[in-house]
Parts: sequence; C-alpha cells; structure tokens
Amino acid sequence: MRVPLSWLREYVDVDLSPEALAERLTLLGMEVKGIERRGDDWRDVVVGELLAVEPHPNADRLSLTRVRVDGGGGVLSIVCGATNIAPGQRVPVALPGAMLPGERRIERTTKMGVVSEGMLCSGDELRLTTDAEGILILPAGTPLGARLADVYGDVVLDVDVKPNRGDALSLLGLAREVAAATGAMVRWPAIDVAESGDEAASHLVVEVEDPALCPRFVGRWMDGVAIGPSPLDVQLRLMAAGMRPISNVVDASNYVMLELGKPIHTFDAAAVAGGRLIVRHARAGERLETLDHVVRELTTDTLLIADRTGPLAIAGVMGGAASEVGEGTTAIVIESAIFDPVSIRRTGQRYGLRSEASLRFEKGQEHRLARLGADRTAQLIAAWAGGRVARGVVDTDPVEPPPRRVPFRPSRVGRLLGVDVTADEQQALLARVGIATEGAVAGDLVPIARSSDLMALDAVSAAAALVAIVPGHRRDIAIETDLIEEVARVRGYETIPGERPASSMPGYRPDPRRGLDDLRELLAGRGLDEVVTHALIGPEDHGRLGLAADDPATIRVANPVSLEHSQLRRSLLPGLLRVLIENEHQRRHDVALFEVGSIHRFRDGAPVESLVLGILLAGDWVPGAWDQAARGAEMADVVGLLAWLVDRAGAGRLVAETTASLPTVEHPGRTALLRLVSSGAEVGRAGELDPRLLAAVDARASRAAFATVDVAALLGAVPAVRRLVPLARVPAVERDLAVVVGDDVPAGAVEAVIRDAAGPMLRDVRLFDRYRGAPLGAEESSLAYRLRLQAGRTLTDAEIEAIVAGVVTALGERLGARLRS
Amino acid sequence: MDLASVSADLAALRQRALAAVADADDLKELEAAETAFVGRKQGALTAVLRGIGALPAEDRPRVGAIANEVREAVEEAIAERRARLAAIALEVRLAAERVDVTLPGRPLRRGSLHPLVETTREIARIFGQFGFVVYESPEVETDSLNFQALNIPADHPARDLWDTLYVDAPTNDGDRLLLRTHTSPGQMRVMRQTRPPIRALLPGRCFRHEAVDASHGFEFFQVEGLMVDEGTTMAHLRGLLDEFAHALFGAGRPTRFRPGYYPFTEPSVAFDIQCVVCDGGGCPACGRSGWMTILGAGMVHPVVLRNGGIDPEVYQGFAFGMGIDRIAMLRYGINDIRYFLENDARFLEQF
Ligand SMILES: [Zn+2]
Repeated sequence: MRVPLSWLREYVDVDLSPEALAERLTLLGMEVKGIERRGDDWRDVVVGELLAVEPHPNADRLSLTRVRVDGGGGVLSIVCGATNIAPGQRVPVALPGAMLPGERRIERTTKMGVVSEGMLCSGDELRLTTDAEGILILPAGTPLGARLADVYGDVVLDVDVKPNRGDALSLLGLAREVAAATGAMVRWPAIDVAESGDEAASHLVVEVEDPALCPRFVGRWMDGVAIGPSPLDVQLRLMAAGMRPISNVVDASNYVMLELGKPIHTFDAAAVAGGRLIVRHARAGERLETLDHVVRELTTDTLLIADRTGPLAIAGVMGGAASEVGEGTTAIVIESAIFDPVSIRRTGQRYGLRSEASLRFEKGQEHRLARLGADRTAQLIAAWAGGRVARGVVDTDPVEPPPRRVPFRPSRVGRLLGVDVTADEQQALLARVGIATEGAVAGDLVPIARSSDLMALDAVSAAAALVAIVPGHRRDIAIETDLIEEVARVRGYETIPGERPASSMPGYRPDPRRGLDDLRELLAGRGLDEVVTHALIGPEDHGRLGLAADDPATIRVANPVSLEHSQLRRSLLPGLLRVLIENEHQRRHDVALFEVGSIHRFRDGAPVESLVLGILLAGDWVPGAWDQAARGAEMADVVGLLAWLVDRAGAGRLVAETTASLPTVEHPGRTALLRLVSSGAEVGRAGELDPRLLAAVDARASRAAFATVDVAALLGAVPAVRRLVPLARVPAVERDLAVVVGDDVPAGAVEAVIRDAAGPMLRDVRLFDRYRGAPLGAEESSLAYRLRLQAGRTLTDAEIEAIVAGVVTALGERLGARLRS
Repeated sequence: MDLASVSADLAALRQRALAAVADADDLKELEAAETAFVGRKQGALTAVLRGIGALPAEDRPRVGAIANEVREAVEEAIAERRARLAAIALEVRLAAERVDVTLPGRPLRRGSLHPLVETTREIARIFGQFGFVVYESPEVETDSLNFQALNIPADHPARDLWDTLYVDAPTNDGDRLLLRTHTSPGQMRVMRQTRPPIRALLPGRCFRHEAVDASHGFEFFQVEGLMVDEGTTMAHLRGLLDEFAHALFGAGRPTRFRPGYYPFTEPSVAFDIQCVVCDGGGCPACGRSGWMTILGAGMVHPVVLRNGGIDPEVYQGFAFGMGIDRIAMLRYGINDIRYFLENDARFLEQF
C-alpha cells in the first residue's frame, strides 16, 4: 500500500521524520519497504503565471508565451506546443538548466528561429499525472515563483500490509497504526451528505438472493452529475497512491477505497433497467462485457450484480462496460456492499481479475464501512461533480452487529513471551489499538486454538482473566493468542530479552545426512565438483532418456513456470549434462561433477522420492602437465572411483556386471550394472554415455563417463558398527596367475571364480595385466592376477600350490580358461 | 716350495690385489678383483693356501698367519674402496637428479563442495550445538500438510504469500499433491512422529511459481526449525536466533526482532541482522534501512500444535524458517541467486 504522507496527515499528526515513522511502523508490524520522495527528481521547476500566449511567428502548431516566474519582474519567453494554455493560468515552468524525471535536462534553446527560455511542463513530464497532451494547469492560488517541489512534492511510504490486516489497507487504517505507535489521535473525515429531493428508494430497489454471499448492500442514488476531471489535488493524491485518475465520479470511489478501505462501485443509473439491482449467481450461458472490454462467459458460481435484463457487473471484482459511468452519465447508483471473501477470491482467480477492490473484499469488510463508504462517496461526488443526492439509502442490513468479545488470561502473555507484563499494562497496551477490556466471569469461554475451540473459565481463573472487546475493523482477533500477539506488538518485540533455553533435551537421533556428507567429502576430495541442479526439468530432457512426454510415472506440474521446468526429474543425468554444456560454453571442457539429489516418480499413483548420487566425467580426468600427458575420462575411471567410494564409505566391495544398456542413452558396449557384494543389492549403473546423447544435447565432448547410484541402497549396506579383522602375525604370500580366456568370458566372472575357488585364505586378488595378441587366438585375452593369500600361520608351499591348482582347475572347468604358458 | 718363496708369493699377491682394488672404477670391477684375489673358491689367495700342505709342518702356522694378514689387508682395502665407490656413485646420482625445483607439482583435480549444501550443513552444525536434530521430509507434499494443517485453509488470503506449483494428478479426497512451497510441513510430520521435548531441523528444496531474477528462483532451499516444550518462550526464540546470527555473521552484529506474519505462528516474527554490506549506514542492498531480514519465525500457532497432536494448553514452542540461498548469498557476498543452480566452474572452484 502506497501512503502519501501529505494525505496521511489529514487523519493523524505525524511529528516524526519519514525515516523515523517508517521505522516505528516497521517495528509495529507494518513493514515499510521503501520511502519515495516525489519531486526529488525535479530541479529548478517553479510555479509561473502565463502573461501572454501568442502564435509562434514561424510555426503554426507552436505558441510563444510570456511567463512570469517570480513575484518580481522576472519574465521568460517560452515556446510551447500545447493548446490548453491561456493567459492568467498558473503553470509549472522548467527554468533553463532544470532537471526533470528521467534525467531530462532543459536548456535555453532556439525553436524555429525564436529563443525559448525553458519549458512549460505537462503532468506526465513531471510524473505527477498521466496527461501528456496538455500543460499541467495549477490551481489559481498556487504561490507564484515557488519551487514546485515545495508545493507538490510528497513523501510516499510503501507499506507491506500483511494478509491478516485488511483493515490497514487504507489511509485511516494506517493512521490508526501510527496513532498506536505515537499516541496521537486519529481524525476521521467529516462524512456528511447534503441530501435533497425525493427518496433514493423511489429510484432504486436492491434484491439480494443469497445474503450469505452479500451480507450487506448499501445503495445511493444521485442525478445531475457532470462528469469531468477531478480537482488537481485529488488527482495528485491518487497518482501518489498509485492509482490513475479517470473522472471525478470514478476517482471519488477510488478515493474512498484508499481512504476508508471500502471498495465502491458506481453504475450509470440509465443502464439499470427499472432501477432494480439484483445480487445473484450467474445463470448458465450468461455473458458479460467487463470494463476491460473482454466478453466473459460466466460460470454459475459467479456472483453478479444484475438487473432484470441481465448481468451488469461481477460483484466485487469488475464492473460491466454497458453500465460504466462515462461522459454522458448524469444519474448514478452508488454501490457500497460487503461480499463473502471466499466467493470474491475464487471469482477473481477464475477470471484472472484481481483488483485493488477484490483484494480488499477478500480480506473481509467491517460492517459499518458499507454505510460510511456510500455516504462518503456521495459527498465527494457532489463536491467534485455536482449533482443532487437523493434522500436516504437503500440498505439490506442496517443493524450493526455487536463487537466481538474474546475472553483471555493475561497470565498466558508472560508464559508465551517469557517476559512479565502486568494485566494493567496489557489493558493499557490493548487500549492503544482500540481494544477495550473488562473483567471476566466464571463460565466465560476462552478461545484456545480457534474461535470454536473453547475452554470455560472456572471461578478462580476467571478472577484473573479479562474480556477483550474487539472493534469491528479488527477481524483478525478471534482467539486468546491473537491478543497475546497484540500485546507483544504494541509493547514492542524489542522489549523481549534473548534467553537461552534451559528446558529438557530430546533424545539422540542419528543425523540422516551424516553418511551422505561422508560421500560428498570423499568425492570432493577426489577432485569432483559438487553441483546442485534443477529438480524441475522438461519433457525434452526426459525424452532424451527414452521417457515419453506422457509417461504415466513422470510427475508433472499442472501450472509450470515453463515447459522446460514442468516435470520432476527421474534422473540426475539431464541436469549434469546441462552443467557440462554450460561450462563448455565457457571453454571449460574438463568437468568432473557429482550431485546428490532426489529423483521422483509415481508408483501405484503415489509419489515416490529417492535420493540418488549422479556422477559425470568429461574431458580430461587425469590433468595434463609439463611431464604428464592428459588422459580423458573413461568407464574404468568411474568404476574405479565408485569401487573406492563404496569401500571407503564402509559398504564393502562393489562389482560391475554386464547389463543391457539403455538405447541411445548409455554406451551399448560400455555400461555396467553395479552391485554390492555384501548385500547383493543393485546400487546403480556406471559406464559411458552414448555419443548420440552427447550429440543430442550439443555437447562438445564425444565421450563422457557417468554413474548413478541409489544412495539409500549404498548407505544401507554400511554396517552400523565396524568390527576389526585381527591382523595376522606372519606376512601374506603373493602368487601370480595368468590365464587365457575367450572373449565371451568377462573378467568379472574370472575374478568371481578365483575368489570362490581360492577359499578363505584369499585376502585380495588384483588384475595387473591384460594382454591380447599373438600368440593368443584372435578372440582370446590373457588375464594376469596377483593373488594375496594369508592365514593365521605360515602357509606351506604345498598348501599354496594346492590353492593355486584348485583355482586353475576351477577356471578351466567353469570358464574354459587355460594357464598361459 | 719353501717358506721363503711362499712368503714372497704372498707379498706379491698382496701388492697385485691392492693395486687391482685401487684401480677398480666401479662396483663390478671391484667385485671381479674380490673374486680374483680373495674369492673362497677360485681366489688367488685360496690357491696359495691350498699349496700350504707341501710345506713342512712347522712352517705352516707362520704361512697361515701371513696369509690371514694379506686377506685382512685386501678385504679392508675392498671395503674402503666399496665405500668410496658408493659415495662417488651417490654423488653422481644426486648431481644427475638435480631438477628445477620451481617447476609446478603434478596437478590434482581440485574438487569442491557446493555452497548451498555447505551452508545448510553449517546451519545444522550451529543448531546442533543447541540440541537440534535433523529430520527429512518429502519435496512432493499434500495441500493438507503444506497448507491446511498449518492454519492456511483453502481460499485464505494468506495463500497469496505462496505461489504454488501443483502436481498434475487427480485429487485424493480433495487433497491435492503439490511441490512444497516451504519446509514448514515438516513441522507437522515431526510433531506427529515424536513427542515433546522437540528440537528439530528440517532442511530441503522448495518450489514456488515465481519469475526468475537475481533474488528469486522457482526452486530454492530452506531450513525449518521447531522447538516445542512446556516452557519454550519467545525470549528463548530471540536468544537462540541471536546465537545463530552471531555464529554465522560475527559476534558483534546487532539483530532486530520485529512483528511478521505467518498463519502458522503467533506471535509471528521477522528477524533482521544489521546490514552486512553497509553495517547499518544504509545502502541499496538493505533498502537504505540498515537492516536485512534473514528469517521468519514465531511461536507455533495453537491450531498447528493441535493438528500435530500436541495440547497447546500444556506445550508451546517456536518455529523458524530461513532461505538457505539468502543466507549463503549474505555469507559469501553472492549477488545473484541464479549462480547457485548454474554451476559455472568459475563459481564452484571458489568453494
Ligand atoms: Zn546496507
């Protein structure tokens, strides 16, 4: 809410500087987001008087004016293109050297052969009004020669009014808050309407079909109105408050909305058939052209203001074009109604029409404002547009409801805030925001969590309890805690001292991120960069992974910010690839990335979230140096990295198994399934990406190694407690073994057979050489393993030879392997 | 063969052997000399000693003594020569190994940890000292947990505070799936799975339907804190937040406690620290106010306690929520939130 201080001061005295006032309001919960000084960007703009307006000697469309710009004899010659000027008018004059908004500098110039000593300004050039055509004509009494900033400058506070405080979305509402902060008095405007002639009821009938959706409708009727612009100071106020001046009648309703917080609608009475307004739901098939000249199909849950011929306005949201007050209007109907907040909110959302008016209706309206708003609007229209206000009002619910009574226990204030505030002080604090208090009696019901969650006071507690009598505008105060907050707010949160809690501690709970953080530290220590990428990716990203745009397991956003961020990721790969490409654009081609993040999918209609580790290596993995050749990342790098990671994390040994690759995503010959030996669980996949995928995302790299690991499966295999294997006293024995196998035998199978056949004495087995070529067959390779054998005692040569022989036999029988001679 | 000729032979042998040892230029030559003169099997000295049997018995000890003396002398010379050769070899090796010590070392990949995750960890470490334990909660939530249980009914004006991304899926008993707009639904999950005393911390990724600019994204990260006990007060909230702010932004930094608004807390709090850019003097970063809001907080609303199965007449507590992105931006002097998810190598390698 934009609050021009000159306007605010009509309702409350403010002795503070704008900055000090802003701080006081902020500390009261009315946060001031900004302070704007209107007129700060005018320099050397003064009030002048037109002495003469004559045709320009060399240009038909220009005038040559003579302008007096001070009380003495200073007179300037200024060339002007506007046609709304006449001698005797007071106008804003930009002197030579002046500065206007937008850093616009005004100089003495020559226009069509005539010297112009400055410029006459339009409202638009000064950013005061929206009129760019004519010169801004100032009221006759504007002091001649004054700096315009001294007359029309203003300070505007931008106040962030929270959604629960609809009552503060008005100058009077904020004046009440200023008064609470400073102790000043609030001055209401004198609202009185000079009525004459016949009764409003003889011109206007209002019929409300569903009073729950329109609890009160106050109508007034006027005729003899002359539509025209509002007085200048009114236009300036509306502009400063962020509203566009339109006409005296429309401006009056906006003025009342800003002043009282009461949205008002005016109809051209000639467009209301039979003078009969009906508040009802739209009927199927009805349509309405709204003020923005859009013809809208109305849904049957839309609340309308209609006449017997059809819809006139969407209640509380937007008027209709046909009944709009315009140039030819002479008689008007003023609508000052209260609507059901939920109905207004839904309607505004349905039609995409959220206005200043509907925002106020959504937050609820004080009952008495309906009448006050109607009266104030009629008063202002009569003053600005003339005309006659018919006697009386049409009012569907003139009886004001009694103020809400909220019993509360002052002892709860200290208990919740941690600072003692006596009941007397609480009463005084509440009085500053207009909340009166009186003693409670046994049986009074304290609303605890909601207004229907009631706890009866017994005689003892009632003696110490109070009842708050809440003024109608404070619709946010309904339960005991609301009053505690009010006490704290008015007293000032800064009066609450900081204390360290001394209460009891919760029991131990392992940090769920601990194992995860270990993995992150390990990977970063190995030289990988951790990244965080979007959880929302696009159908194109998923499409490249072979997932159809309408794959039923994909979780889609119904109202995405954009198509490329419309689906929850089912893999980390698209995000990692995006990072690769972005960095390639920066000529950073060597990337080693990891991300730990959630992937999502539907399973049996329910969302399932799993935590995944993703790794992407592209470009050089071993960096090049002056005596070291760079080496690009390959599958074996990522497999080795993961085996190390899994081992270090405590999950034991990891094996890579052959698997069918995902077509066009994973390299058909370089993709493995990863399995934990200890748990037997599949934990992920690793290998290289299909070059077609890299090409599809326009990566420069033609090779990239990747891995995806299920973090829960990995960390689940880490034992809670590690147990030491006793160290043998005697050294281990090493034996080398080279076997020749056909290409159909994977090395993983050879190692598995060795481990199985060697038995418990085998501590470690390592492939240290792999050879292909003569004298081996074309589809054969020789694999050389180093076996490390260990027992609690010295192994004899015979025992060792028996183990090796057993391994050789098993390799021969199970895999057709032979010893390399 | 007599004593005199054997003695002369030994003397000559000694001279030749010492000369050969002295002439040996490397270990190989030295070993050859050793074998040739004092070798156990084919050495010249051994050959001489084999001939001792031909001498008269009374001369044998005398010759034996001379021969031992020769052996010792030669072996001593060999040992000396060996040491000398080793010293020379070491000198040669060291001279040959001289390098330009100012050459750069062999590079290792640097590696880095992402500032958002590390800031989350730092926040958890600080609150961990005060007994807060970490819980996790899902990114896909229900309307009922994300909003309704937190005292934000459908069609409540406060819903405007959160522009929600909804999941395209049929509603389940009117309960819509959505991407959580804040970590606050985690409060409800914690209250429903544990009893007071509660000190919980809930970090996580959140989503809002927002246009992206230097300070907003449609994905961002939050940490939620929740403490519930019989006597947990707003003064405790203030005290703990002060500790937190001082831990993260320096011990002397002033803080400010002022009214805020959240439907799920009452009283609600906005917590400010003195601007880290201008130290309170006023600058564009703080809107010239000298203060920066770093988190929202408040005493848990009694409706929220009730919805969490906790009796608000017995227990009370506070909750707070902060944007990790914002904290990390202030902490590291990052001026554009988009850097976090762009993962530019030039950004990452600074962490
Ligand atoms: Zn600052």
